[in-house]
Amino acid sequence: MKLNDISTSVPKKDHKGKVSGQLPYISDVKVENMVYGVLYRSPIAYGKISTIQLPNLPAGYEVVGSEQIPGPNYVKIIKEDQPIFASEWVNYIGEPILMLVGKELNTLYRLLNEVKIEFEEHQAIYTLEDAIYRKSESGVTMASYEFGESLEIISAIEHGAHQIIEEEYDTGYQEHVYLEPQGMLALYKDDEIIVQGSMQCLYYIKNALLSALACGEDEVRVIQSATGGGFGGKEEYPSMMACHVAVAARAVKKSVMLVYDRSEDMVVTTKRHPAKINYRTSLDKDGNILSMCVDLFLDAGANEGLSSVVLQRALLNSAGVYKIPHFHAKGFVLKTNTVPNGAFRGFGAPQSFAGIESHIGHLSKQAKIDPLEYKRKYLVKQGDPTITKGNFRDPVLMEEMIEDLLYSSDYKKKKEDFQRFNQQNQRYKKGMGTSLFLHGCGFTGSGERDHIKATVKLVKTKNDHVSLKISNSDMGQGILTTLCKIVAKELDISYEQVFYPDPDTKEVPDSGPTVASRTTMIVGKLLERAARKLKTQWLSGVEQEVEEHYIHREMIPWNEKTFTGDAYPAYSWGVNFVEVEVDTLTGNVRLEKVYANYEVGKVIDERIMKGQIDGGLAQGLAYGYLEKMTSKQGKIQQKSISDYGPPTSLDVVPIDSKVFDNPYTDGPYGAKGAGELTLIGGAPAVQSAIENALQTSFQQIPITPEVIINSLWTKEGEEG
Amino acid sequence: MAEKVTAYRFDRIDETLSQLNREDCAIIAGGTDVMVLHKSRRGVPPKFSKPIVFIDHLSELKQVYQTDKDLHIGACCTYTELLEHPLIPTPIKSAIKTIAAPAIRNRGTVGGNICNASPAGDMLPLLYVYNAKVLLRSVNGDRFVAISDFIQGPRRIQRLHNEIVTEIILPSVLEEGTHVIFEKVGNRNADAIAKVSFAGFMRINKERIEDIRFAFGAVGPTMIRSREIEKKLVGKTLPLADAEIDTIVAEFDKIIRPIDDQRSTAVYRKTVALNLLRYFLSLKQ
Ligand SMILES: Cc1cc2nc3c(=O)[nH]c(=O)nc-3n(C[C@H](O)[C@H](O)[C@H](O)COP(=O)(O)OP(=O)(O)OC[C@H]3O[C@@H](n4cnc5c(N)ncnc54)[C@H](O)[C@@H]3O)c2cc1C
Repeated sequence: MKLNDISTSVPKKDHKGKVSGQLPYISDVKVENMVYGVLYRSPIAYGKISTIQLPNLPAGYEVVGSEQIPGPNYVKIIKEDQPIFASEWVNYIGEPILMLVGKELNTLYRLLNEVKIEFEEHQAIYTLEDAIYRKSESGVTMASYEFGESLEIISAIEHGAHQIIEEEYDTGYQEHVYLEPQGMLALYKDDEIIVQGSMQCLYYIKNALLSALACGEDEVRVIQSATGGGFGGKEEYPSMMACHVAVAARAVKKSVMLVYDRSEDMVVTTKRHPAKINYRTSLDKDGNILSMCVDLFLDAGANEGLSSVVLQRALLNSAGVYKIPHFHAKGFVLKTNTVPNGAFRGFGAPQSFAGIESHIGHLSKQAKIDPLEYKRKYLVKQGDPTITKGNFRDPVLMEEMIEDLLYSSDYKKKKEDFQRFNQQNQRYKKGMGTSLFLHGCGFTGSGERDHIKATVKLVKTKNDHVSLKISNSDMGQGILTTLCKIVAKELDISYEQVFYPDPDTKEVPDSGPTVASRTTMIVGKLLERAARKLKTQWLSGVEQEVEEHYIHREMIPWNEKTFTGDAYPAYSWGVNFVEVEVDTLTGNVRLEKVYANYEVGKVIDERIMKGQIDGGLAQGLAYGYLEKMTSKQGKIQQKSISDYGPPTSLDVVPIDSKVFDNPYTDGPYGAKGAGELTLIGGAPAVQSAIENALQTSFQQIPITPEVIINSLWTKEGEEG
Repeated sequence: MAEKVTAYRFDRIDETLSQLNREDCAIIAGGTDVMVLHKSRRGVPPKFSKPIVFIDHLSELKQVYQTDKDLHIGACCTYTELLEHPLIPTPIKSAIKTIAAPAIRNRGTVGGNICNASPAGDMLPLLYVYNAKVLLRSVNGDRFVAISDFIQGPRRIQRLHNEIVTEIILPSVLEEGTHVIFEKVGNRNADAIAKVSFAGFMRINKERIEDIRFAFGAVGPTMIRSREIEKKLVGKTLPLADAEIDTIVAEFDKIIRPIDDQRSTAVYRKTVALNLLRYFLSLKQ
């Protein structure tokens, strides 16, 4: 198939394997000489291991722990604070201490029950509130940043202001609920350990293994197997599992499989960071913003992981899509003795956008202006500075996108209709809400240039088939298809002639992790350039190979110390309108209509983009009102999908979406990032719709029926 | 190696009953509760301490028929079969549509829902307000038990080990002139376990309440129904005065004692249960 317009959809490369059910996932794999691993996990939140008593192990059953680790006992991510197997201190319920390996899972579970470990318990920090209160104690603050207008100037402005509004906003956990739980297999060979599994970042895992096994480059190899969803949950977490199976395989000289069941996955793997955000905004007498201070706290859980980077993105988005005069922000990553939090689609931005959209919405009520109208007064335009003194240098289409939705949703009339409906209906109340948002594409600052340094390779065979040699994972988002399309189109050959074999670190250079909405824009651009190069050298019937390396766009240099400069090379944009109906007797919220406009440069495949929109929005909307996860005394309470409650097909309504073209020169065919953007607007739009329906304000997400009933009930109580 | 399980699947009900009389067995109808209850961790088959007997294929247990104004529902009718059956009252069908999702509804049975006796069983509130009777059969013959006597607590039922529930009988359900509603409150629109549920039943004759019944689910160890409170409303004319409604709500306020759990809070459950009651009582007929 020759591709005319790059956006036209083609059959996905993995379509047949997936719809026929033939594609094997890691838990389907069985190899010779394979044993299973099960983990003994800490039953307490914080304390010291005093004694370990192991059961009598039958022949063929062995125990693996920190002593079997050839290298240092930590999972190489950023800080050295996450043990592979806890050996002295435990910091959260569920932290791995030992692994039992052997042939039969049944026997392993029985043995697991017979392991006896005694602890000396210490006082744990269970909540973010507690951590904020104790943030000056040693070890509690793991990272912090501060930037923006000087506090003296802000203080002077506040002094002369008509009014100062302070708001506290809380966001909850979010669980990824990828269809395929985490799983990893280490294949044992005399001279090599091959780790295979469900993952987003091959080289993160490889680097973690090089450290844990203290071995040479060619003694470990990482291969991605079919991955059933990631959403960030398979960004850093699999590195720990890879260390577990690889260390065990080395120790017992057998292949070791470790697969979580759903409840284990829900209870011990990383989640979206709960956050608390404080806003302090000074207003003039007409309700115009004079200054704004934001303090943001992230609950990291028991170790730092990627939390400092998540905090950076949260702070960089703390002013939303607005040009706020005299803006100041400060943020902290705080330790609690709870399950570690980590990467999740949006990476800190969903918390910030939920908060700022909520706050600006509430300010509009002060000013007695329609929220959308108020937001538009502050909307950034091309050429405006960012909050870090960078620049929005590309065209911004937000005004067109908003106008389009005002028209297609019939916003004004709908709002009036809803008001009438609400006056007549005692039980049900309808409301309409909006959100405006952006997403910075790629790594923050100069991360791509200084840390990632992506390389891609194209290899052509004698029969003119071209293979992509990159380290990026298709986890369902569709890059198997989109990246092949880019290469086929550039080479002007048929799409079927281009292949993207399962990435294997022995075969592929490091093109970076599959995160941060970078794959299409950054890796896609490198592939486009590589294809162009191959085309100029093309010799039919001859084996050929080309390589390309990352080139940095000229920008205002990013300075992580002062938090100044261009934080991202480019931004993608979005506008969501949401209509809801709230049952005031039960607090249940029903979505009635969802409209979404996006600008992602250029769409590489329409159907794949629609998949990102529908999936991202379902996940983002649910973050605002449906999905609820709580931790009590360090224990996650929702251990099953039905208790946690991600949306079913009966909860999501058809999503009316449109994507605007705005080609970006440094992206392939003009494409920018799209994967995370689509999630970000959901929660704030649903919040403002619920507020509109009930004519009230909320200071948290998710706005569950419990929260709604509580607010309706207290209001009545006050009146009475 | 997986442990061996003995399983029986007789062609006829009398053979099944004889076996049950000889040996204590675990009955499996649709299996949608049993399999979850006996689930092991990943990669290990479910564990049963007793032999299994399958009953879901027995045609005697799959009939739906009418005698006078009474409706008889075979215990092993699946939800999907009931949804498609013309005799099944609309409120029951709408309750079924809130249960699980189509795949589970193709297996799950009404008999299983009753015998599982979960505080959140979604068939139960309606069966309580319909004054349903459970028909049990053993080698010794048949006996009828009122549903509210049959269910004694969470997973506790009045069944002897040699008995099978064969039918659920809804007395006088096919009479005209009753107003019946069911409301389920879950955390989402499918595959959700009720946080609160409510069934209301009212028969009116010329603005006067002839009969009125309420049942609340998921707010106590089993369905909450009070004939005493119901009696206070019989003979009253509609619409009820606010004070009359307040009295009834206050009485239920005293007897509804829900709990906090991972799915919701006690305060929420109680508030919503009473809201739904008040709403039902305020409806203009
Ligand atoms: C994913 C999922 C979602 C679900 N959603 C809901 C929901 O929304 N609402 C809800 O109420 N339930 C729900 N359930 C629970 C379950 O599906 C229902 O309770 C169903 O009605 C059980 O019927 P069954 O035939 O599968 O029972 P089984 O599992 O076969 O049996 C349940 C119990 O009853 C006994 N039993 C069954 N039939 C008889 C009989 N005729 N005589 C004597 N004893 C008998 C069995 O021995 C067992 O103890 C859900 C279950 C799953 C797995």
